[in-house]
Amino acid sequence: MSEPSNPFATKPSTGRSLEKVVLGIFRAATYFVLLCGLAIFADIVLKGLPTVANAFKTTSTFPYVTNTFLFEAPESLYVFEHEGKKLEMGDREFRAFREAEEAKAAAAKQPAPKFKPESYVYSAGGIWPCIVGTVLLVVGSMSIALFLGVCSAIYLNEYAKDGPVVRFIRLAILNLAGVPSIVFGLFGFGMFVIFFGWNVSLMAGWFTLAFMVLPVVITASEESLKAVPKGFREGSLALGATKWQTIRKNVLPYALPGILTSSILGIARVAGETAPIMFTAAYVVRDKLPWDVEKSADFFFQGVMALPYHIYVVSSKIPQNEYTARVQYGTAFVFLGIVATIAMSSIIFRNKLRSRYKW
Amino acid sequence: MSSAPTTPPTEKPPESAKAFPILKERTRFFGLTLDETIRAFFGGNAITAVVVLALITFFLFKEGSAFFGLNRESVTLYRKAGLEYVDYMRAQQESHTALTRYLFDIRLRAVSELTGKDGLSVAEANARLTAFDDFAGRYSDTIEPIRGMVSELTDVAVSIKDKYTINEDAKTERAQFLAAGMTAEADAVRIIEIDFKAELAPLVGVTPVYIETANGVATAITEVLASPPALPVPALDYRLTRFKELNRQFLATFPETRRLVETWDFQKPVPVLDTVTGFLFGRQWLTASFWQDWYGILPLFIGSLMVSIIALTLAVPLGVGAAIYINQFASLREQRVIKPAIEFISAIPSVVLGFFGIAVLGSVLRAWSQQALTLPEFLQGIPLVSWVLGLPLHALNAIAPHIPGFPFSERLNSLTAGCLLALIAVPTIFTLAEDALNNVPRSFKEASFALGASRMQTIMRIIVPASLSGIVSAVLLGLGRVIGETMVVLLCAGNRISIPDFSEGLSVFVQPVHTMTGIIAQEMGEVVRGSIHYRALFMVGLVLFFLALLINFFAQKIVRKYRISIG
Repeated sequence: MSEPSNPFATKPSTGRSLEKVVLGIFRAATYFVLLCGLAIFADIVLKGLPTVANAFKTTSTFPYVTNTFLFEAPESLYVFEHEGKKLEMGDREFRAFREAEEAKAAAAKQPAPKFKPESYVYSAGGIWPCIVGTVLLVVGSMSIALFLGVCSAIYLNEYAKDGPVVRFIRLAILNLAGVPSIVFGLFGFGMFVIFFGWNVSLMAGWFTLAFMVLPVVITASEESLKAVPKGFREGSLALGATKWQTIRKNVLPYALPGILTSSILGIARVAGETAPIMFTAAYVVRDKLPWDVEKSADFFFQGVMALPYHIYVVSSKIPQNEYTARVQYGTAFVFLGIVATIAMSSIIFRNKLRSRYKW
Repeated sequence: MSSAPTTPPTEKPPESAKAFPILKERTRFFGLTLDETIRAFFGGNAITAVVVLALITFFLFKEGSAFFGLNRESVTLYRKAGLEYVDYMRAQQESHTALTRYLFDIRLRAVSELTGKDGLSVAEANARLTAFDDFAGRYSDTIEPIRGMVSELTDVAVSIKDKYTINEDAKTERAQFLAAGMTAEADAVRIIEIDFKAELAPLVGVTPVYIETANGVATAITEVLASPPALPVPALDYRLTRFKELNRQFLATFPETRRLVETWDFQKPVPVLDTVTGFLFGRQWLTASFWQDWYGILPLFIGSLMVSIIALTLAVPLGVGAAIYINQFASLREQRVIKPAIEFISAIPSVVLGFFGIAVLGSVLRAWSQQALTLPEFLQGIPLVSWVLGLPLHALNAIAPHIPGFPFSERLNSLTAGCLLALIAVPTIFTLAEDALNNVPRSFKEASFALGASRMQTIMRIIVPASLSGIVSAVLLGLGRVIGETMVVLLCAGNRISIPDFSEGLSVFVQPVHTMTGIIAQEMGEVVRGSIHYRALFMVGLVLFFLALLINFFAQKIVRKYRISIG
């Protein structure tokens, strides 16, 4: 014992090693969750990316490049053997090919070749109508939800005094947030589709989705309004402005960025939900694009294809094999990409905003 | 501000209005000033949440409430047309079939035992089991008389039911003709009132024959059982004993069936309450059958519950553990990365998770349960990586046989769905639990440290208990999310509508189930509007709605009641 031992040094004890073990378990839990999320993400990106990446094609008209997966409508896929080769073709291509072959055979005075294709629905072509439909649904429902939500939040935060009515409203908002999305779907079906007679339409989907995200938007807006310091309002009121002038000029402008960024999370939710639009707005397949309507009023009362519903259809209604996996993973990848971009931008904007406004 | 003048109006000089220029007439809408109008407008918007909740309740009730009346009609017809009578006998036949299956199961085990342990060929094993096969054959034949009766009576009952249905259709047709003012066509519609009593005569007439047959069957079974074969596998003898015991129980039900058949009355009214309990506690959800449709929510409810139990068992430790780690241990930089990352997981759409379950997770879990986990192909080629990653896989494969329920053969089952739902619940539980931990005042922690407690003691005995109410409510809200989740269970839970077999221990958790949310999503698109099935789906929606409200209510109540006063 050449050195005197430090009497205050930490001594190894069972308690301390236990602490390390428990800490390790907690840390493992955290990273396990992240790993699971990452695994799913990686699987879908790795298998879905080639679908989109391989679909680029040059064209002869202006942009000179297009993506057949992103910008074409879904078609059936035909797989058949021809002259010893295995061929895969989309619906239109297959018809053209068959006609060409038959014409060739007729010219050579041979019997027309027989094709025995196996067909897989929706497995060729792209998902353009679904992307359009999803964007339309999100834009419409978020406009409704933002309007209703911001107005509700203004009332709750600026006008209302705490009392039974306000408490009741807050309770309703809390409960509305907990209602399962499929129940919203049933409600939308019962009210908009049947009672109002809107049928399966954009309008029905908009309102159903808007009511579903309403609690998210209200909560987000209220938080942003609360973040505006009291002094802003008092200063304005002291200068003789009315309440509405104060809100319009001195509260809303400062709260609006926050409201919008937090509501992006609501957008992610709207875009990601399938259950509410299943019976209210989504079609399994529709040939026309939404703007191909005779009267402009028809625009609001037409059903659309939507990405989440399309994923459900292609993953449950057609078999899983090498030919269908392409479109399944591709659709999932595009959809996940869209939603992830929205969510990511919400998180980034929020962090930026936090550092911008400091009062 | 419009205040009443306190002094009687005096003569005002006209200049005074100019001297006080702010005083001006306000624009009024319906007697409200502009500001009050704006306030009312915002207030009206704030009511939306309340209105929407009320509308949801109203429309679910509106579409669903007719279910009970329709179901009562259906059950009444079930009784009047004699289907109920036939079902008493059918139940007997089905119990017997189940017992026969039990015998087959014994045979299967015996064969695997003989070929596996004793190393016999299949032909030899079969040769050894001839005595047993003979016994099983004789046993399964004993029910034949009843089986024959049931199939005959089934036809009779179905024909009565069909006649009634055709008649009802004719009645509605006539009503439609009359409503349209087409009397001639209405008169042409032929309606024959059904005399149920006369129609049922051949059915009820067989009661004495049935009793005789049943007695015969009972004697036959007893006779067959009296001479059981010696099994070549002694280890399975206990199963044969169990089989006899089951048969004894089966025979004990004969007098009860006899009583039911004898006292059966087609005119006995169906109480309204029965339709309610039949829905809430009914053990069968059977639709579009030629015989009788049943709408019992129990199998769906149990399915939802089992999936949720799996999800929460996985998600609570992970979510709460992660929350404690992030809140108490993690460095600031770690927090900044992990918190958004977990939030990000919550943004993965459920339908994508469901697709992942179908495409990947289901097969992986099944492979694991069968000890057949392997690396993906592109990793197998790389020598070092495949070795390093292979180790945990081997470990997982090694522990697979020790996990209850493994191996299983269904790719899509409640475990697959539960695992994915756990991933949905974790962000909810994590965020709310982390908030709760965050709300514990600093002074609690500091006081604990000052008293000499270690970090672990502080966390486990002070901080977690102080935030327990918040954590519990976080778990409840996570449960709410899981129970209400649709797409994952629709795609991954296997969609088999039956109450899982609880007699098999923990392997119930790897059986396919159907859930309340799943059934709505699956069947809503296909039902006829206004039919009983359609109404039943709305009733399921209503149950879900109230379940969600209940969970929310408890979550809020727990937070309010057990919140530690901070001061």
